[in-house]
Amino acid sequence: MTAVLTRRPGLAKIRTARSPLYLVCLGLVGLVTVAALLAPWLVPYDPNAVDLGNALAAPSPEHLLGVDAAGRDTLSRLLLGARTSLLGPLGVVVFSTVAGVAIGMAAGWRGGWLDSVLSRSTELVFAFPGMLLAILIISIYGEGLPAPVIALSVAYLPYVSRLTRSLVLAERKRPYVSAYQVQGHSALQICLRHVLPNIAPVVLAQSTINFGYALMDLAGLSFLGLGVPALTPDWGRMVFDGQTAIQHGYPLSAILPCVFIVLTVVAFNVVGERWADRVARRDR
Amino acid sequence: MPDNVLEAVGLHRAYGSVRAVDDVSFTLPEGGSLGIVGESGSGKTTTARIVVGLEQADSGDVLVRGRARDARGRGRTRRLARAREVQMVFQDPYLSLDPRTSVEQVLREALRLHFPDTDHDRRVRELLDQVGLGTRAADARPRQLSGGQRQRVAIARALAVEPAVLVLDEAVAALDVSVQAQILNLLADIREETRIGYLFITHDLGVVRCVTDDVIVMRKGRVVEAGPTAEVLAAPRHPYTRLLLESVPRPGWDPEAIAAARRAL
Amino acid sequence: MTSMSSPHTLDVRGLRITLPGTARPVLDGVDLHVGAGETVALVGESGSGKTLTSRSALKLLPPGAVVEGAVRVRGEDVLAMNAEQLRGLRTGTVSMIFQDPRAALNPLRRIGDFLTESVTLTGSMSRADATARAVELLRAVGLDESALRKYPGQVSGGMLQRVMIAAALMGDPALVLADEPTTALDVTTQAEVIALLAELRERFGTGLLFVTHDLDLAAAISDRVYVMYAGRIVESGPAEALFARPRHPYTSALLASTPRLEGPQGRLAAIDGQPPDLRQELVGCAFAARCHLATEICDQQAPEPRTAPGRPHHQAACHHSDRLEGSPVDA
Repeated sequence: MTAVLTRRPGLAKIRTARSPLYLVCLGLVGLVTVAALLAPWLVPYDPNAVDLGNALAAPSPEHLLGVDAAGRDTLSRLLLGARTSLLGPLGVVVFSTVAGVAIGMAAGWRGGWLDSVLSRSTELVFAFPGMLLAILIISIYGEGLPAPVIALSVAYLPYVSRLTRSLVLAERKRPYVSAYQVQGHSALQICLRHVLPNIAPVVLAQSTINFGYALMDLAGLSFLGLGVPALTPDWGRMVFDGQTAIQHGYPLSAILPCVFIVLTVVAFNVVGERWADRVARRDR
Repeated sequence: MPDNVLEAVGLHRAYGSVRAVDDVSFTLPEGGSLGIVGESGSGKTTTARIVVGLEQADSGDVLVRGRARDARGRGRTRRLARAREVQMVFQDPYLSLDPRTSVEQVLREALRLHFPDTDHDRRVRELLDQVGLGTRAADARPRQLSGGQRQRVAIARALAVEPAVLVLDEAVAALDVSVQAQILNLLADIREETRIGYLFITHDLGVVRCVTDDVIVMRKGRVVEAGPTAEVLAAPRHPYTRLLLESVPRPGWDPEAIAAARRAL
Repeated sequence: MTSMSSPHTLDVRGLRITLPGTARPVLDGVDLHVGAGETVALVGESGSGKTLTSRSALKLLPPGAVVEGAVRVRGEDVLAMNAEQLRGLRTGTVSMIFQDPRAALNPLRRIGDFLTESVTLTGSMSRADATARAVELLRAVGLDESALRKYPGQVSGGMLQRVMIAAALMGDPALVLADEPTTALDVTTQAEVIALLAELRERFGTGLLFVTHDLDLAAAISDRVYVMYAGRIVESGPAEALFARPRHPYTSALLASTPRLEGPQGRLAAIDGQPPDLRQELVGCAFAARCHLATEICDQQAPEPRTAPGRPHHQAACHHSDRLEGSPVDA
């Protein structure tokens, strides 16, 4: 198999061979997803309800995870923050996967000048740091979720398109593809009905790993104050808002979102790697 | 109606300075079976791929029932017409089927494309029966089948299109001897029933003797000998054909003499 | 036991290998030997266990394999060897030639490095000695020393297989295992490689275990032949006797189903059905379901190898060998 998934070196080291870790991570992914989906019904307080008299209160029966510097309930903000924090990466992954697969497939299948043009232009994006691209786009279009999502989608697209291209190149050498050509099927039919399903598991594994990275990048942008608008609950934004509280000796409202970001990224990474390994084993 | 179902006239194909196929011509009579014999690098597979349309000739024509094969047309009608002229069975039964598609789906895809208005259930049963696969095999995925069974599926898939010519590219080379014999017998039966023409690409002279009426021997892109199989095998005229015949292992076989003859050629 | 005066180069006794997730042993009581300087062919179809049998001489076994029986090379028990002894065995006493030379060679290393690395790495030869030996062997296989500096991609498949043969002889082995060494080659090249193997065997006196699916090739080159089916040796004996008067219906059916240049033309006598699956247990004779001689006893009791009357070295594991010998077999 010539295609290799792109993984950032640090996270790839977390070994996925032992299954308890995988199960825990799978559970965590499920939990975070469910929490995000049901957040509006789970939250005990309005996440933006300011209560300055109660600012920086410690955890108590009313506020299970305490209150931040503006007197907002941390648990409520964490739960609703999961929505924006997961929705952003989801947008990035969906867009970069769909567009990346389309471009990679066209390049790998047609080859020739089209391949050169598509491969060179995606490599151009490669050379440009994703965060920088995002900051650039945000500085033009202003803050809000769409701008960083679009920017990161473009930045992540080459990972998917390059992987897809190499998979399609390997797949189209297989005689079964020639067999369908001889049978009179059109190139589009062969690609969609046969090549795509055969390469999908590997591409999806890469996309799952990308999800974790995108979450981290988006949180970073929010932390820089470039992502979501000020009042929207978001994990990255919460870390940013919590800075002053840490200086005052009340770290909880900043550390909790940090912990959630790290755990979610690791969980998606482990699950993605595990899927990738499983696909690789099946191919052997 | 012309007598030849397939005719190749002056096929040329070069890759850079290598002449892979160099002025190759042959005819395949209606219902006949023609073998193309040669070693690796002889151009036999490239010739087959040109006939099928997977590769373009630099010059020369392939005619099916007297009509030039339109290798470049892209429209749906042309594509389907081309498919009904020539079908192909590939060498490696493990790679020539989509691993995700069941046997029945494979056949249905071909039928839906070429005969959308016919009774597919009946035809699938007929095809499975024709290649000696039970209806129980219909739901199986390729990985659940043996090499011989997969090759039967590949043959059924080709027959589903009802082509005039079937190109078999080393179609039994990857199979065990006992299974190979089953498939060779099956191919003989199918030819008798359907009068389909075979273009049989192989390196195995025993196989050639078993399934072809006529044979051409290729070496380095050129045809070095052509004629009825029985005559060519009984009284080869070209030294290369003689060398090929002598190279087949048998009791009393003298590999050293063959090695010497090969160096001399 | 092992205190025989001249032990066989390779002696396999009652070898039984079971792999996880299978219902029956992959190898089921294999007995086989190769004498000094003898050429022995091991014939079988895919899945018969012929490759595993030959690899057992190097203790190259799949993970999770449960092994019973004995494999001895020059009297020494291979299965009991530790890692260091095995390394000595693999680089010296026993060597292997693979089916596809291109897949067995690192394309980015020069042929010279490939030839010398195994003997220099173990320290059994100095670099200069190794190179001298490599040149000598390359000459012996009909190549000159310019091949040392070439990469695998620069030479043809036939030449590469000759390099593999030269590499197999580097450690001056007592036994060469050749696993389908000519299957990936053209017929005319095959003859050349076989001629070379035969010549080298005479010159260096190595034993050769030739694993192949090709009965005619086996008959043409070997002193003795073993025929395997579903993990068992079904017939063994001198090549001529075995092919002229097979005593196992599987051997005779294989002979009849091979398309040949001589003999009757037309339909081949194909063997119906397929070899038994590893997932199903075997009771009785493994070939019974496909055999035209099979009777009740074949389904109940696995046949033991029995010697042919008047031919002490010709054995077959069949309840009905005597019925078979009467019937004419085209060969």
